[in-house]
Amino acid sequence: MMRETAGTPVLRIDGLTLVAETAEGERVLLDGLDLRLMPNEILGIVGETGAGKSLLARAMIDLLPSGVRRDRGEVLIEGRVLSQMTPAERRALRGGVVSLIGTNAKALLDPVERVGAQLVRVLRSHKRLPRHAAWAQAVQLLADVGIVNPEERAKAYPHELSGGMAQRVVIAMALIAEPKIVLADDATLGLDATVSVQVLDMLVERSRRMGCSVVLITHDLGIVAHYCNRVAVMRGGRIEEMAPTADFIAAPREPYSRALLDAAKARPVPSVRGVGAAGAPLLAIENLVKIFPGSRPGEQVRAVDGVSFTVRRGETLALVGESGSGKTTIGQCLVRLLQATSGRILFDGEDVTHWPENRFRTLRRQIQMVFQEPYVALNPRWRVRQLVDEPLAMLETLSAAERLKRVHEVLALVDLSTRTAELFPHELTAGEQKRVGIARALATRPDFVIFDEPTTALDIRVRAQIIDLVRDLQNRMQLSALFITHDLNSVRSLAHDVAVMNRGRIVEAGAMDEVFARPKDPYTRKLLSAELAIEQAAPPLGDRMQGVLP
Amino acid sequence: MKLPPALRRPAAVIGLTLLALQIVMIVFAPAISPYSPVDADPVASLQPPSAAHWFGTDITGMDVFSRVVYATRINLLISVVSVAGAFVIGVPLGLLIGYYRGAASSFAMRLFDFIQAFPIFVLGMALVAVMGQEIWNVAIVLAILFIPIFARLIRAEVLSLRERPFVAAARCSGASDRHIMFRHLLPNALLPAMVQVSISIGMAILLTAGLSFIGAGVRMPTPEWGLMVSTGAQQMILGVWWVSLFPGLAIVVAVLCFALLGDVMRDLLDPTRRPAPARAKRQPANTGQTP
Repeated sequence: MMRETAGTPVLRIDGLTLVAETAEGERVLLDGLDLRLMPNEILGIVGETGAGKSLLARAMIDLLPSGVRRDRGEVLIEGRVLSQMTPAERRALRGGVVSLIGTNAKALLDPVERVGAQLVRVLRSHKRLPRHAAWAQAVQLLADVGIVNPEERAKAYPHELSGGMAQRVVIAMALIAEPKIVLADDATLGLDATVSVQVLDMLVERSRRMGCSVVLITHDLGIVAHYCNRVAVMRGGRIEEMAPTADFIAAPREPYSRALLDAAKARPVPSVRGVGAAGAPLLAIENLVKIFPGSRPGEQVRAVDGVSFTVRRGETLALVGESGSGKTTIGQCLVRLLQATSGRILFDGEDVTHWPENRFRTLRRQIQMVFQEPYVALNPRWRVRQLVDEPLAMLETLSAAERLKRVHEVLALVDLSTRTAELFPHELTAGEQKRVGIARALATRPDFVIFDEPTTALDIRVRAQIIDLVRDLQNRMQLSALFITHDLNSVRSLAHDVAVMNRGRIVEAGAMDEVFARPKDPYTRKLLSAELAIEQAAPPLGDRMQGVLP
Repeated sequence: MKLPPALRRPAAVIGLTLLALQIVMIVFAPAISPYSPVDADPVASLQPPSAAHWFGTDITGMDVFSRVVYATRINLLISVVSVAGAFVIGVPLGLLIGYYRGAASSFAMRLFDFIQAFPIFVLGMALVAVMGQEIWNVAIVLAILFIPIFARLIRAEVLSLRERPFVAAARCSGASDRHIMFRHLLPNALLPAMVQVSISIGMAILLTAGLSFIGAGVRMPTPEWGLMVSTGAQQMILGVWWVSLFPGLAIVVAVLCFALLGDVMRDLLDPTRRPAPARAKRQPANTGQTP
């Protein structure tokens, strides 16, 4: 994996300090930062929200957000000082020498222009080329980034592409002018793991072939471990530690890097099963089907297609699968946000599938759901106290004083201070928002909790804290849970059993350690191979490329 | 006490000053105006602005300054009453048709299309012709015109809000439809409507003046800005500019005032725009998986 990185750096940052002008005065965002990027090097930059990673990338491509000012220090690209260049030179630099790949490719593409035309526009703004030659080159590039049938796809509009394909187009656009430096700012965030791995493999392979340097900005240490030569750990606008990746993974020097690394590792398997493990199942799903009407008249989408499983008291089942596999739909059927098309849902032995809404309401005390997005699942105009109190006010017959006491109890249970109760959701950090979501679900002391993607979009250490919190709750409350996720690493830490879903069906199910150690179904194997765990050695890049590229 | 930043901006200061000016005119009209607003004095007809008549006199010899001051009462009364009425009816209506989408809600939308497609002044003339030239009738006409505006605004907000995860979360907490509508959706949907209140008051002032100008509004000698512009317009060609100009300026001031206050309102009412405690930082919204 390591490669010789001798020679003069293509990019050099000397003592760069960036400040933001705010109403309360100046705030330092980057603090005397030094960095060298060598030719052909793949440098990983990791850090949590607010560390200044994205800002650093913006500084490298000379696109500082408004209100941010360079206070001291210089950025040198190929030996030339950025601040001394003319505006025309800077323009030529952006996209020509340095290019940036952002998150959420679909939003980065112009929705009303064909993707081929967008590529041509970028190409012709950096090179004098006749239109048809540029088009031919664009099509070739689409083929190079692994897009099947590139002539056809070049004529597509962005909404006609899948997320992974759109990300490939954005990468093609970044590579089209053959830059020396490619900055990938969380480029695969929000893509399915298997797609993310394909896209990253392709990006790394292409830049190797073109001989350019790559900066991978990410909060996923797995990505760093598998792709980068060197890693820089950022925190509060500084680089805490910079080391070759192998050394860093083996023995990080700084306490902060060690904390990050520990947080990213899976916890020991929760092997202790609940007391009721031998008894009758608390929840049983039999042959559940949910059909949605398709986009065309008469078309049907079988989102959930004959799924059966059971969860016993004190046990946690993980439903894993990629987006569109139907796992969230199952969760929504269980809490009656959706009505199942057919099949049966049995709770504590009773068939509740067709209970009318007013009878089902009595069951809501016992089945609660923790929603995926921490912020948007909380009414922005309610204080935390009101949010956590809502299920109590709706479902329990308690006095206001008793309810307030319970609210404080539950907040303490998820490690939030009483002071938090009077805040609005936007005044909380993402981790605190997530905790409020969990507190709300636990307020009525439910028997069964559905966690929908509890670890998505959280920073490394926050994610680990949430995992530890859920593990703690499992132990203390004998909680039975359904755990919906695509994050296999968290499944290792949280679930007793696992069911792998693909296109609305369960393809493989069983005890978690058994399924993960010896996957039988090819889809399970594919999912596991896309997991970039830092504990595992990186497989040789070429081997995996052949497996996944069409 | 320190004012919130939303009230310290120039637009807010100007808007609030103009509002204070109008309130003073409403409350102290008898003390401010040197003459009765409705007493004609044929001897002093069409006098240009002077020390005795600051804004001059109109053709019947009524003092323009006194009439401009007194008209603030009528004009703001009509505007505020009509907008308040439209708000009280339009907002719950919009909430209902946004939450329960069905035949009745489609019908309501087509009705709104009809009201809004109809030429305002034709509708105004027709209604006033049927109901009589009373200031309350003018207010009712305006309220009918404004109901669709509020209902549509709220409906549009509710349509997007009802799909938000916090509504699903409320449902899982056992919330009823009514609870979701009034405790979750309405407070979040209200902001644009509150801003619209201010803008609509400005529009109402303009429309009242317009209706009076074409003769479908209030009757002489009631002091009303539009009516005054209209009576003055007949002599404008003779070089008598003051009869129309001053009530015209009063309209501009009032409309400007409420337009500025609309922005102030938005900044004051949005809790996410309130200065948060120093440690709190807004997290980026989830960009992750679609369910």
